[in-house]
Parts: sequence; C-alpha cells; structure tokens
Amino acid sequence: MSEPLRPRDLARPAEQLAAIPDGGLPPLPHPYEDWPDPGVRPLSDESRARLEHSLDGVVGLKIPRPDSAAAREAYVEQFLAGLDRLLDREANWTFLQPLVLSLENCVKCNTCADACPIYESSGRNEVYRPLLRAETLRRLVHRRRGRLARLFDRFAGNDVAATWETVVRLADLSYRCTLCRRCAQSCAMGVDNGLIAREIRKLFSQELGWAPDELHRDGTVKQLVAGSSTGMNPAGFRDTVEFAQEEIAEQLGMSIEIPVDRQGADILVLHNAGEFLSWPENLQAFAILFDRAGLSWTLSSEIAGYDSVNYGLFYDDVQLARVGHAHAAAARKLGVRKVVIGECGHAHKAAMAVGDRTWLGEDNLPRESCFTLIAQLLREGRIELEPGRNPFPVTLHDPCNVVRSMGIVEPQREVIRAACPRFREMTPHGVDNYCCGGGSGFAVMSSLNFPDWRMAVAGRKKFAQILDAFAPEIDDLETPKYVCAPCSNCKGQIRDLLDHYQAWERARLHYGGLAELVVNALKGVPEGFLDWDEIALAK
Amino acid sequence: MPRIVHGAVTVEVDDDGFLVNPAEWDDQVALALASTEGVETLTDDHWKIMNYIREYYAQFGVAPMVRKLCKETGFKLKDIYTLFPSGPAKGACKVAGLEKPTGCV
Repeated sequence: MSEPLRPRDLARPAEQLAAIPDGGLPPLPHPYEDWPDPGVRPLSDESRARLEHSLDGVVGLKIPRPDSAAAREAYVEQFLAGLDRLLDREANWTFLQPLVLSLENCVKCNTCADACPIYESSGRNEVYRPLLRAETLRRLVHRRRGRLARLFDRFAGNDVAATWETVVRLADLSYRCTLCRRCAQSCAMGVDNGLIAREIRKLFSQELGWAPDELHRDGTVKQLVAGSSTGMNPAGFRDTVEFAQEEIAEQLGMSIEIPVDRQGADILVLHNAGEFLSWPENLQAFAILFDRAGLSWTLSSEIAGYDSVNYGLFYDDVQLARVGHAHAAAARKLGVRKVVIGECGHAHKAAMAVGDRTWLGEDNLPRESCFTLIAQLLREGRIELEPGRNPFPVTLHDPCNVVRSMGIVEPQREVIRAACPRFREMTPHGVDNYCCGGGSGFAVMSSLNFPDWRMAVAGRKKFAQILDAFAPEIDDLETPKYVCAPCSNCKGQIRDLLDHYQAWERARLHYGGLAELVVNALKGVPEGFLDWDEIALAK
Repeated sequence: MPRIVHGAVTVEVDDDGFLVNPAEWDDQVALALASTEGVETLTDDHWKIMNYIREYYAQFGVAPMVRKLCKETGFKLKDIYTLFPSGPAKGACKVAGLEKPTGCV
C-alpha cells in the first residue's frame, strides 16, 4: 500500500503524485510465477516536457502543458463554470439526478475500494482509491456553495483548493476508471462512482475541450463525417461485405448473401465496424447464422449506420446524442421494425438504455440484444447445434455494459452451454464480473505508456481470472482454450492481454466472439468455421 | 510533436511514430519512417504491399483488413512480418504514410 492521499493532496505541487512501482503489483496465477512484470515505462523527456503527467506519470488524455500561469488560471475558471453547469437542471438534463444522488449519499465506507479491480490490481495504490476521485468532485461542488461551506470544510480538514494541479489531476483521474460500475453494484447506498468519473470526463470534454483523441477526434467526430470511427467510408463498407461473402464461399462452399440497405427488412443489425477490420469472422458468423435461421435482416450503408460504436457514452453527451441520432436515422430510413445490436457492449448501453433519452418520437424503434435473439432462435428450434464440434475448453468474459448495465446475463449462457460442452464460468461472473480492463474506451487508447498501464494494472484482474478458469488444462499445450469475449472493445483488450502475457505460447489461450462458436457448431454448415491450424499459424 | 530526422529528411510524427501530415509522404519520407521500424532498405516486396495499402486507403478511407491484404498481394502474414517487423497495421501502414488505425480495431 502507498501513502494515504486525501482530496486536498491533489493540489500538492509535485511533478508526480504517485507511481506504479516495478514489481509492486499483485502476483499472477500459474504459470506466471516467474513473469518479469515490466510495469509502466517512463515517459520520454520530450513527452514529459509537452504533456501533463503529474498524477501518476501515465499519459492517456494528453493534456498539453500550458505555457503560462494565465493560461492555467483560465482553464481553472472554465472548469469551475463547467462545474456549475454540471449541476444545472437544464444543462445536465441527461444525468443530473443520478449524479446528485451519487454526490449526496456516500457514507465513505470504502466498500467501493474492495470492489474496484484497478485499485486492487495496482497493489492498492491510494491514487486509484475510488473515493479519492469522487470525494474530490464532491468537495469542489461543496466549495461552490459559498463561504460558510468553505469555512466548514476548512475546520473539518476537508478543504480542496481549486488549483491547476487539482483540476488537471482530476481530469487524468477520470481516465483511471473503466466505468465498469462494479463499485456501484456493491454500494449499499447506490452511489455510482463510474457515473461520477464519466460526468467528470463530460465536464472536461464539453467545457474545456479535453478528451482522448481516440474517442473524440478519431472517434465520434470521424464517425459522423466518414461513416465509421475506423475511417471506413460507405464504399469501403460495401467492399468489406463483398469480401466477407467471398470468404464464406471459399471457406465453407456456401453461398450466403449479406444484405445491405434492404428496404423493409424486419431487422437492422448494427455491428461495431472494428469487427469488419480486425475480426471479419464475426460479421461472417452472424451472416451465416441469420441466413440459416431464415431471418429478414439487413445492414445499412448510411453514415454511422454500419458502425454501432457510440464513444459519446464514455465522455460527452453532445456527441452521444449526435451519434445516437445517426443510428436512429439509419434505422428509420430502412423502415425496419427492430434494431439488433451485435457483439459490442457499449453499443448495447448507448442504443438500448441511454438511447431511450435520444431515440425520441418516431425514432424510438424497439432495440434488442443479439444475445437474446440468438437464445430465442435456439429455443424455438430455428437453429440446431452439434456441440461436439466445439470440443475445446471455453470460458465467457462478461462485457460490463451487457451484464451490469443491461441485466442481460442468462441468454448468452444458454447459447454457450448449448454450443460448448467444456464451458466453464469465471469466478466471479455475470453481474459480479470483472472488467476486461479496456472498458470506457481504454482498449483503443494505445499511445505512449497508457497501454503499459492498461496491461499491468487495468487488465490484471481479468487476466488472472482467465488463467484460473482454465487451471485444470493450463499446462496442456496440446489443448487450445477459447476465451469468448462477445464485445469488440473487450476483444481488443483481451487480444492485447494475451499478446502481452504471451499466453498462446505459455498456455495456448485464444479468444473470439460468441457467434463464431455458434456457427462452428451449427447443423447444416460444413465443419471448420474455426480453423485452429490457421489460428496457430497466425500466432 | 516528435520529429524523425533521416538523411536530409525531417518529418513530424505523432506520439506513435505515424506521419502527421500525409501530404508530406514520398519515397524519402517512406525511408525515414522505415528506419524507425528497423527497415533500412525498401525492396519491391515492400513497395508492392505499401502501394496496395495506399490505393485501398485512398479509395475506402481505411487500410485493408489483413486477410484481404494477404490475398490481394499474395504474401502470407508471416512474410509481411518479415518485411515489416511490427506487422501490417503498426508497421506497413506506418511506412506507407497512413494515419494510426482508429476505432475498435
């Protein structure tokens, strides 16, 4: 454990408030007893001179260091004005109520700290204690309530100075939480520290223009102009679909049409466009599955209509609403009866739950998860499985936004139990799951030393859980093992974790989606959709 | 912003070594970028891959998926890693002057 930190310590003028010590992290299970934890690489002198790093020496947000005291002061003023708007009923019509409840009801019992994988995996580094972040915001808010409140705080030893150091460290601190909301679930008072972190991010994005490039400039902004956060334009999307059809024909000898812009289809399927580029087999698996089940479905080639991501969920209400509108417009244009969200966790929450506040009036079409749909197809006998075709050990990673935020827990299990005879749960799982460590956009924040932190700290708990789930076979290098991670963001993080920890070489760990497992066992489809020889070759 | 200096060439790159201004890209800049990847000379094989990536990017706004790149150029993934040790996205795309891949990839 590191030295205790209080909110007022955020104002401390030090080059760095905390650090991740080499070798100071909790041990990993077998076969990682000898793993030489590389920790977090120090920044180069050039980066240190250019970018703020005074929280923990890790850079994710990339705040340029202001060149004058006046510039720093101006940011503090912007922050304080933004704080007022965060608490204003009109300005924060989206999340004011849960924010106020979370600010007012904390009894400081620190149950959240025990629930937090980042706090635990950092070796209980005090800078990551969930209460530090929440309490700093709480006291800054309290301070705005006038002189008497400030006087009271000073007597109680609770004063927090709204200085540049406090503001910039609070900004970075909002990107040391994956918004997994495991703490909110464990809180007896229902305080949601994930929401607090997210609202801090929103303040910085909407009022100061501070947001990670990966989420804003190269995320929502790009998506609304090009059509996808990947930069893929509608012609690129069509090319991708054609290629997927060719691949299915070549690999399985099946002629499957992937419908695009089919007017009047029952279902519009929204996939995360990252799948098309990094995991095209997921697009193919859904196409085969829906074709075999005889569904009337289509994809869209509209702007944002072929990319379900809505990074606004992670950092900005304006961008959240803009992307949500684009998704709804694509659905309305096709006249579909329902929108089905593919294997992307945050897209579930953005379109299905938060979407109730942005998909208004005639836009408010029914939205369904792909997991409940596949479970229903199975239950109704519209697809049949031959589970013997998946003879390898399988475990399931629960995307936080699907289980904890949406309560969708059992349908995906119903499917995976039917498809995989050697399925086993992680401990804990379902609504008690641990985040992959890439949540809230971290999986795509891959610059400077942020990935080091994401591998060593944020994803550590998940990697340990994966190893534990396969403990009986972990030393058996003849047996490949499959981590089913039905979410593009989680999948990217788990790919990076398995690469970083050389988990294929050490334990034959591989990862992928859910639809792939279903199609690999789907009756009427030739065997070999999952090609282990090819998987091994690519490692 | 960080810079790369290679011979007579100086170019501005982002924190991950990708070219900031794509209009600056030419053969000499490609060599400068390649040097950061531990590649000192660019052969016909390198160019075949880079030309395909650049054409695809110009048309579709994104680099081709790895499988398509292999299929269209005739190289196996292992060959691409031999030519560009950081692989197709972090290596070949970087030397070809593309921006860093974005989105959930």
